[in-house]
Amino acid sequence: MVTLTAPPVERPPTSGNRRRNKPNRRVSPLLIAFVLVPLAVEAFWVFWPAIQGVYLSFTNWDGISPPTGVGFDNYVEMAGDPVFGKALLDTVIWLVLFGGVSAVGGLGAAMFLQRERRGVGIYRAALFTPVVFSLVATSLIWQSMYQPDGLINTVLGGLGLEGWQRSWLSESDTALYAVILPALWRQIGYVMVLYLAGLKGIDPVLYEAATVDGASRWQQFTRITLPQLRSVNAVVLSVIVIDSLRSFDVVWSLTKGGPFHSSELLSTYMYATAFQSLRLGYASALAVVIFLLAFGVIVTYLVRAFQESDS
Amino acid sequence: MSIDGLSRRNFLAGLGGVGAAAILGGCATSASTGTGQAGGAVTLQSNLSAPLPKAAMESVVAAFNQKGGAQAVLNTVAAETFRTQLPSYLTSGNPPDLYTWYAGSVGRSYAKKGLLLDLSDVWSGLTDYSAATRTLSGDDAGKQIIVPITYYWWGMFYRKSNFEKWGVRPPTTWDEFLAVCEALRAKGVEPIGMGAGGTTPWVASAWFDYLNIRINGAVYHRELLAGRHRFDDPQVKAVFAKWKEVLPHFDKSATAIPFQDATTSLLQGRTGMMLIGTFFADAAPKDALDDIDFFQFPIIDPKVPIAEEGPTDGFFASAKTPRGAEVKEFLKYLATAEAQELFIKNSAGTVLPVNPKAKDSGTPLVAKGRKMLNDAAEITQFFNRDSSDALQPTADAALLQFFAQPDQVDSILATWQAAAEKVWSS
Repeated sequence: MVTLTAPPVERPPTSGNRRRNKPNRRVSPLLIAFVLVPLAVEAFWVFWPAIQGVYLSFTNWDGISPPTGVGFDNYVEMAGDPVFGKALLDTVIWLVLFGGVSAVGGLGAAMFLQRERRGVGIYRAALFTPVVFSLVATSLIWQSMYQPDGLINTVLGGLGLEGWQRSWLSESDTALYAVILPALWRQIGYVMVLYLAGLKGIDPVLYEAATVDGASRWQQFTRITLPQLRSVNAVVLSVIVIDSLRSFDVVWSLTKGGPFHSSELLSTYMYATAFQSLRLGYASALAVVIFLLAFGVIVTYLVRAFQESDS
Repeated sequence: MSIDGLSRRNFLAGLGGVGAAAILGGCATSASTGTGQAGGAVTLQSNLSAPLPKAAMESVVAAFNQKGGAQAVLNTVAAETFRTQLPSYLTSGNPPDLYTWYAGSVGRSYAKKGLLLDLSDVWSGLTDYSAATRTLSGDDAGKQIIVPITYYWWGMFYRKSNFEKWGVRPPTTWDEFLAVCEALRAKGVEPIGMGAGGTTPWVASAWFDYLNIRINGAVYHRELLAGRHRFDDPQVKAVFAKWKEVLPHFDKSATAIPFQDATTSLLQGRTGMMLIGTFFADAAPKDALDDIDFFQFPIIDPKVPIAEEGPTDGFFASAKTPRGAEVKEFLKYLATAEAQELFIKNSAGTVLPVNPKAKDSGTPLVAKGRKMLNDAAEITQFFNRDSSDALQPTADAALLQFFAQPDQVDSILATWQAAAEKVWSS
C-alpha cells in the first residue's frame, strides 16, 4: 500500500531527458504475447468456469441431465434453509476464532521470536513445521487423538479429570471447536512467518528514537510496531479471510460437517450439496455466496486501507 | 535464434491447443457424446477396495482373461471416491465400460437418464436367477440394468464364547432382547455396539430400517423411502419411540467410532452385540470368525410379515460403451456358478452367490444367514439402496441427532422431512 502512493520523482525538464522520455509507441509482439497468452489460459481455466458457476447458481442441475433455469429460486431457498443458517453462523465463528487467534497468536509468536537469540531458529522452525504437513495428514493424527480412547481423553483421565472426557468430534457442542484447533495449530506458524518478515522491515532507528524519548515497551508496540505493520496486516487479513472461507480439508476429514451439521461450514455444505445430494445448482449458489463474502470482506478492507494512506 | 523462435512458436501453439481443449472441455454442462473406440479390453471400475474383496475381484478378472475370449481390466477405486465420481464417469465422453453397483432403486435414476446399457439379453440367459432378483435388477421401464453376483445379510452379531461367559442366550422377541441388554449391562458390558462415527455414519440407518420393517412392514418402508409417506408421520414416530427403549443400552461411543473400530470392540468383548452386515468380517481376524454367530433382529409385532435386509451387489454398464458385446460376454461369465464360487473362495466367504447353482462357503454361519433370508417374506436392500445415495446424508444427520437429543424427535423428523423433500424434488 505504501509503495503505491510514493511521491512522483521531480525531474528537471531538460531537452535531452524529454527526448529519452518520448513514449515508444511500438510494443514488441512478444510482450503482448506474454500478457495475452497467460490471460487466455487464465480465462479458460479460471474465469470461464467461474462464470459458469454463477450461471449454474440460477439453475437446477443434477450433474447428468442438462441444467434447467430456475431464476433466483436457489437464493430464495437459501434464505429459508436452516442448514445454510447454521453453516453461515459456523463460518462466522470460524472466521472470528480461527482468524482472531491465528492473527494474535502469529503476531505474538513473531514478536517473541524476532530477536536473534541462540536457538531461536529451532523454535521458529518448530512453529512453522505444521504448515509443511498436508492438512489431511494432520487431521488423521488429530482424529486419533480425539478418539474416545485417544490421547486427549487418556491424558484427562490420567489427571483425574474424567468428567472432562468427551467424544470430541461426535458431540455437537465440541465438534466445531475440536476442528478449529488443528487448523489453528497450522495457521499460527504461517501468520508468524508473515509477521516476522514485516517486523524485519521496520527501521530500528524508530525504536532507538522512541527509547530516547522515553517510550515504554507497550507504547513502542502500539505507536511504532503496529502502524509499521499495516501493509503486512492487509496481507494477513486477506490470507486469513480466504483461508477461513475455503477451510474444507480439515473439517471434511475430521467430521464431514457433522454430527448433524454441528460443524458445518459453508464450504463443507457446498461440497455435500454438490457431490452427496447432487444438487449442483444450489451448491453453485452457495459457492457464489462464499465468493461474495470473501470478496466483500477483502475489498472493504482494501478500500479503507487506500483511503487511510491517501489522507 | 531461429531455433528459439521455433520452439517458442511451438510452445505458443501448444498453449493455444490447451486453450482450445479447455473451450471444448469447458462445456461441462452440455451433454457429451461417446466416441470411444471399439475393441480393446473391457474396463471394470470397482469400488471393492477392502483387501479381501479386491483380491477376490482380481482373481475373477484373471480367470476370465485366461479363457481367451474378450479381455477385462480391473480398476479399483476407494468406495467413497467411486460414489461421488460415478455421475462423472457415466456422463463423460469416454466412460469406463462396467461398474460395480447395487441392485434396487439406487441404480434406477441413472437408467431413467439413459446412461445404462440394456442388459436384457444377458438376462435372457440367466434362467436360474430367481424372479425376485430379476425384478430387483430391472429399471422402471422393464429393462434389465444390472447383473447381480452376490448378496449378504444383516444380523445381530455376537461372540458365542462371550454370550456363554455372560450367561445369556440369543433373544427372539423384543422383550427378550431388552432382557439380554439388562443382563449385559449388569455384567458391566456395553450391550449394543454400533460404529456410526467417523466415515461410516450410515451404519445407524440399519437400525432405522429394521425397526421400520419390524413395526410398519417392508411395503411401508419402501414407500416411505420413495417419498410416498412423510418422515414426520405417526408411523415413523412409533419407530423412534421403540428405538428410545433401547437407546440407553447403546455403547456410549456408538456414534463416535467407525464400524471397523466397533467391530474390534465387539470382538474384544467390550460390547455385547452389533447390528451389522457380513462385510464386517472382511476386517476381522480369521480365528475370531469361527467364534462369531448372529441372531435375527428381534420380532416386535408378530402380525407384520417378516422382512430382512439382503443387499445385493452386482454390475451395470455404461450405455456409451463401444464394447457392448465384450461387456455382455464378461457379465455372462460373472453370472456363472464358476465365477461366483471363485469370488467367494477368495473373499472372506461371508457373501452368498446369486446364482442358485453356485455353492457358498458352506460354513454354519453362512448356512444360517441363507436360511434366514430364504424364510423372509420380504427382502429389503438398505436405506440408500432402497432410495438413493442423495437421501442417505439426510438420514445420517437425523439419526445421529436422535442419538444426541432423543427428546427432540418431533423437530428432528420435521427437519428430516424438509431435507428429504429437497432430494426428492431435485
